[in-house]
Amino acid sequence: MTDTATRPAEPAIRPIRFVLNGAEREVAGVSPTTTLLDYLRGPERLTGTKEGCAEGDCGACTVLLCEHDGAGGLTRRSVNACIQFLPAMNGRAIETIEHIGRNGPTPLQTAMVENHASQCGFCTPGFVMQLHAGWLTGALTDRQSVKDAIAGNLCRCTGYGPIIEAGLEIADEPVPDTGAEDAALSARLAQLEGEGVFSYASDGHRWFSPTSVDELADTYAAHPDAVLVAGATDIGLWVTKQYRELPLLIDISHVRDLKVIEEAAGRVYFGAAITHREAREVLAGIHPDLGEMLRRFAGTQIRNAGTLGGNIANGSPIGDLPPCLIALGGRIFLRKGDDLRIVALEDFFIEYGKQDRAMGEFVAAIEVPRLADNQRFFAHKISKRFDSDISAVMAAFCLTFEASGEDVIVAEARLAFGGMAGVPKRAKAAEAKLVGRPFDADAAADAMAAMAEDFSPLTDMRASSEYRLKTAQNLLKRFQLELAGEASGRIAGMGPETLDMAPIGGAS
Amino acid sequence: MSDTISLPGGNARFGSNSGQPMTRRDGVLKVTGAATFAADNHPDGMLYAVTANATISRGRVTSLNVEAAKAHPGVVEVITPANRPPLAITPEAKPYPFAFNIEVLQDDTVRYAGQEIAMVVAETLEAATEGARLLAPTYEAETARVGFDDVDSFDPDAVGVGAPPVAEKGDIDAGLAKAVNRISASYETPAQYHNAMEPHAMVAQWDGDRVTLDTPNQALVMSTGAFGAWFGIPPENVTIRSPFLGGGFGSKAIVFGGQVLTVLAAKMLGRPVKYALRRDQMYGPVGHRGATRQAFRMGMDAEGKLTALEHLTTSTTSTFEDFIEPASNASHDLYASPALSSRHKAARLDIGTPGPMRAPGEASGSAALESAIDEAALAAGLDPLEFRLRNYAETAPMSDKPYSAKALRECYAQGAEKFGWSKRPMQPRQMKDDAGRLVGWGMGTALFPAPMFQAKAKATLRADGSALVETAGADMGQGAWTALHQIAADGLGLDIAQVEFHSGHSGLPDGGIAGGSGHTATAGSALHAAGKDAIAKLTELAVNDEASPLFGAGNIGVTARDGRLHRADDPSRSESYGEILARAGVSELGGEGQGARDPSSAEEYAMFSHGAVFAEVKVDPELCQIRVSRLVGAFAAGRIINPRLAASQLYGGMIWGIGFALLEEAVHDRRSGRIMNANLAEYHVPVNADVPPMDVILVDEDDRYVNALGIKGVGEIGITGTVGAIANAIWHATGVRVRKFPIGIEALLAETSAH
Repeated sequence: MTDTATRPAEPAIRPIRFVLNGAEREVAGVSPTTTLLDYLRGPERLTGTKEGCAEGDCGACTVLLCEHDGAGGLTRRSVNACIQFLPAMNGRAIETIEHIGRNGPTPLQTAMVENHASQCGFCTPGFVMQLHAGWLTGALTDRQSVKDAIAGNLCRCTGYGPIIEAGLEIADEPVPDTGAEDAALSARLAQLEGEGVFSYASDGHRWFSPTSVDELADTYAAHPDAVLVAGATDIGLWVTKQYRELPLLIDISHVRDLKVIEEAAGRVYFGAAITHREAREVLAGIHPDLGEMLRRFAGTQIRNAGTLGGNIANGSPIGDLPPCLIALGGRIFLRKGDDLRIVALEDFFIEYGKQDRAMGEFVAAIEVPRLADNQRFFAHKISKRFDSDISAVMAAFCLTFEASGEDVIVAEARLAFGGMAGVPKRAKAAEAKLVGRPFDADAAADAMAAMAEDFSPLTDMRASSEYRLKTAQNLLKRFQLELAGEASGRIAGMGPETLDMAPIGGAS
Repeated sequence: MSDTISLPGGNARFGSNSGQPMTRRDGVLKVTGAATFAADNHPDGMLYAVTANATISRGRVTSLNVEAAKAHPGVVEVITPANRPPLAITPEAKPYPFAFNIEVLQDDTVRYAGQEIAMVVAETLEAATEGARLLAPTYEAETARVGFDDVDSFDPDAVGVGAPPVAEKGDIDAGLAKAVNRISASYETPAQYHNAMEPHAMVAQWDGDRVTLDTPNQALVMSTGAFGAWFGIPPENVTIRSPFLGGGFGSKAIVFGGQVLTVLAAKMLGRPVKYALRRDQMYGPVGHRGATRQAFRMGMDAEGKLTALEHLTTSTTSTFEDFIEPASNASHDLYASPALSSRHKAARLDIGTPGPMRAPGEASGSAALESAIDEAALAAGLDPLEFRLRNYAETAPMSDKPYSAKALRECYAQGAEKFGWSKRPMQPRQMKDDAGRLVGWGMGTALFPAPMFQAKAKATLRADGSALVETAGADMGQGAWTALHQIAADGLGLDIAQVEFHSGHSGLPDGGIAGGSGHTATAGSALHAAGKDAIAKLTELAVNDEASPLFGAGNIGVTARDGRLHRADDPSRSESYGEILARAGVSELGGEGQGARDPSSAEEYAMFSHGAVFAEVKVDPELCQIRVSRLVGAFAAGRIINPRLAASQLYGGMIWGIGFALLEEAVHDRRSGRIMNANLAEYHVPVNADVPPMDVILVDEDDRYVNALGIKGVGEIGITGTVGAIANAIWHATGVRVRKFPIGIEALLAETSAH
């Protein structure tokens, strides 16, 4: 247990040290909530990076972020500069549109020109950076992968087709071997990041970036009124849209032991700082619906920044991940000082805006059981726009079956929803209708009817109460039809053939 | 001019001149981030302006804590109605043809949510933002009126930009009386916002009584007159630099109050000032597509021919200015009917003034008209394409003028063939895909006027045989710099690589307005004429010069190509431009040109681009999620200068049609009147995943009357036809006719549960 006597001294305040377009920077005297975008466009006059929305919706501000992995390696990811805070860049490297073509246009830039992939050109630097990052990280493999890569970039001239063609053209271009440079950069970044807790302050506003979970526990215990920030995909907007004062921030994105995924005894443990991108493959391995949900969860830049812990701890009633993890029977590990407790995820959400989290307590990890052979799972996100949209309803179901005489009956039902109440919530009345009987059309109908007892959803801009309830009910019907083999696909994204301009045949 | 974007000679690899599918000539600047948009400018000593915007939609500002804002470190000035310096003319003066009343802190009245109520100018953006927050306005609020049913409608004096609100031909009631089948249906379209990716921005800097403005602008020279009028200086003292516009779609054609305030702040403080709107500030002060309600009555005889077509629109506008979406006018020129009536009413709401937004009038009007035509075809028992062919207008129905050219039949035929329309079952809910989704097919006719405005251009032949061409045009992304450059090179008989092109600066000859789908035709005609003028002067030199192989060819004529003049009767006798100029001792030879329509053609003909759009949608039967799964559009728009750019404009327009049909809508809070989804997360513009496989067919059309070059426009027509095609496909998939846009799963789910 940490107490005042044993707590380490406050770490010394340091300037923010990072690498920008290959050159080292040391910044002090700016507010900790200065965004990376404002810094780039302001003091650095790097105006190729554009502001289209200042809330991570449009991708015009996409830059490439490199960080050392603590083991001599380097990872790269694209992020929206508009909602990244500058102190989070300590010990990282940023590359902007001005830098990538410094020795003449890259193959991607040439392909963009030749495919007519820019029109007004305002969104173009963001698309270039996003595709560049996708290429460098090996994410561009086929047409669908290119489409997924740019899901978080908006083009109002709506010239997506040529952009995809350009991205596809470079997918096969060999990525230059930068192993030696990467190792050097990794070492340089580790050195810039410095030892222990990075502490920054300006104008009475403070920022801490611990690098280990124990440091985080100590720092948070010493400053329990601090706001924890991970990927800043939510908290960034508190600043850029709500102008909130955030005098004290603790950044958990540098905490390396919260960035691990481990597995034991059929259970997967995700560190809270694991990003949605990092989690996607593992979650998709639990069930393909989870992979599909994460594909549509947000654009790549957001998934590259937002964390599993953040998506849970912010308590949003419309977060997409909590219903999925509740249906699976997920639990979270909460740490305060040296104390650790484990809470079933469904119990963490108490009511709108209120979670079972004490002052100074933080989400350290999320435990997700793998599905057993006798379990069936379903997850589906209902939103108006296919990509980059907030769900009206997020449904996740997990049914456990057992044999009972001739029948296979439902032994346990977990039907979890987002968007149906002030918190992510199970439909207990509906579940009760399913247990102890086969999951047939009658059972589904009874459970659908019972959902009206479980939920009185809100009417808001995204959907009416009636619509939400009806959709929630119909999603269960669809699960039943799918398990009965009576319905196959769901409404899906445009297939990979999109914009092939291939001759189109008539009705089948 | 160093501050004018000049495009170097072309990269031959990308092709050359009119008709060629060249890639855009500003492409490299754009993909490298080197293209400079207004907000990227940062002159020395620059201050930042941030406005406070009203959070109520009707009433009065009762207090602003100016002291608190001024006390914040870095804040230099707070401009409110109490201290706003005077302008040379009143905010209602409308100093140019497309001007609106502007909001320039003239009083404490709040007319709509989002209206600027104060401007804070500071040394940093952060300080200005904090200063604006510290103003903490209080209000005396009145009830917000933001829905059609909140107010009574009135009869407007004009719709759109000065068009008559009523046009009638024949007797509607008599036509309906003799009809065998009749329909009546009402549709509703919502307020939509341009949402160009580049938010509006301006950097203003004064030098004595001259001011330089970096701001995206679709009508550069016209705007110099406007700013000059507001500030009491001649237009030539105003320089507007707008080399790149990050999308305009109509919203950057009309000067808005915030720009005037920025110029005012720069003057007041004697330092350059930058004002860049935040995304949420784009919902109110800079125009939008007004909401409409549209009611139709149609009658058809036994053959399915229209006997009457009545189209009544009610459009929303603001309480202080009229921009009445001229949606009913979409019915003037498309379907033949002996009785035709288009009328407009308007409703004043506590909203920002609407304005032109990509295909103003036509987009909303076509959405409803093409849906109603589909209903009429069903009532007549005819295939929707057959119905349209039976009602094909050989002359423009309202004016009875012949069309200058109309290849709509070819559009129908080629589009239908590509789409496979002939296999469409008449009845709805007949098609399913492998996954059990309902499949539907629909179509719509696309129509957009082919106007011309006024433009001027200069061409200068240089001693080395190359040339410079200049016009103050605007490239909002449509590719003007490329298409206009191609036309200019052809006017000079030069390869594009030999021609330097200057544009985007108000000091150049007036390039007119980039709007109304008329910029390529208008500025292109001026550039072409300027080149021709220079060549005519060059010809004079040559044919009067005894030393020239062209001597004496004045009556026979010469042709200009590849940088040489050739005798018309003997092309082997030729001389290069450089040789002619050198011998004449002329280092530069200038030509001037104008672009405008021949008034007699304009009087005689109806001039339109046409098209046919076919859509397939898939609808999940349980969840009613709607996906457009393919779109085919065939368009006839005169001479296509650059097929790549033209197709791209048409694809873009059609994708806007997807947004209109399924996604885009500003939602007002009924209590405060504020727009609840004033951001890009919740105001849904189509993302890539919403875009299906698409085909655009450019249908040949030779129009001899629109202008000498035969050029029409393609910037706006793509959105017309598409919206109706999608709506009709949804009906065909589900059997449910949703008459309110955007068509949401919610409306469909409520209706389909009966099935």
